Amino acid sequence: MARKKRQTENQAGELNLTAMIDVAFQLLNFFVITTHPVDVFANLDVFRPAAEKVISKQEEEPPPMLEVMVYRDGYAMGKRPMGLRELDRRLEKIAGIDKGSMVVIKCTGDSTQTGLVNVLDLCAKNKLSKISIFSL
Amino acid sequence: MRKQEEVAMGGQLVAMIDVVFQIIIFFVCTSNMQDNARDAEIHLAVAPHGRVEAQKNPLQVEIEVSSRGRVTVGRSPLTERELYDVIRKAINDSRPQQVPVIIRADGRATHAMVRKAMDTCTAAGIMQISIAAFKEKGQ
Repeated sequence: MARKKRQTENQAGELNLTAMIDVAFQLLNFFVITTHPVDVFANLDVFRPAAEKVISKQEEEPPPMLEVMVYRDGYAMGKRPMGLRELDRRLEKIAGIDKGSMVVIKCTGDSTQTGLVNVLDLCAKNKLSKISIFSL
Repeated sequence: MRKQEEVAMGGQLVAMIDVVFQIIIFFVCTSNMQDNARDAEIHLAVAPHGRVEAQKNPLQVEIEVSSRGRVTVGRSPLTERELYDVIRKAINDSRPQQVPVIIRADGRATHAMVRKAMDTCTAAGIMQISIAAFKEKGQ
């Protein structure tokens, strides 16, 4: 009787390892199921001049700048239509000469946000940081 | 006497582990609240070379533009006038610091839709804006 009582006390005093492992695996399953890879976001800084400032700037001597047009179905630089690859090559060439060049991106109303982001990404790739966006 | 103390210690340890796990689960479930403030239906364009989003500035205003042109801030749809008021209030509250404005526009949205948000920022006095994009997609 005394031995039985001592065994019961020992069982209650010890940590129940089986239950703890069970709970640990439950938690592990929970984390594996609920965890998903984190999206990494990028911010592309641009300058959006006010309309009245544009007019006043036009009166002054315009600073040297590159003009990139964003259309619904493509891009153009200096009125010459081109694809993303050619645009990348051109920007790379210009950035090689002067990274401080001002890039003016002009978007048509029907062009998509993806088109604009593609051009901004190429500017970021070529370390061109002075970017202005105009709407047509 | 010692046995009774051991029993009591064991019981307390089990309860403590239980509470710790409960707390962990609570934090795991609530930690993605910030992501819920963003509209999950907005599919950003991808910009692998863009600057990685720094630690979120509490003053920043995130304007979301859906593929249908709906403009929201913190999931609340806003008119141009309301958006203007939100930005002006943020500017007034944050002086003399500059208010960072981020435009999270769906990649399929046309520029005419995004333009409204940009023009409202300009009208409110914000000339420097950031365009959000995916640097790396999680899945």
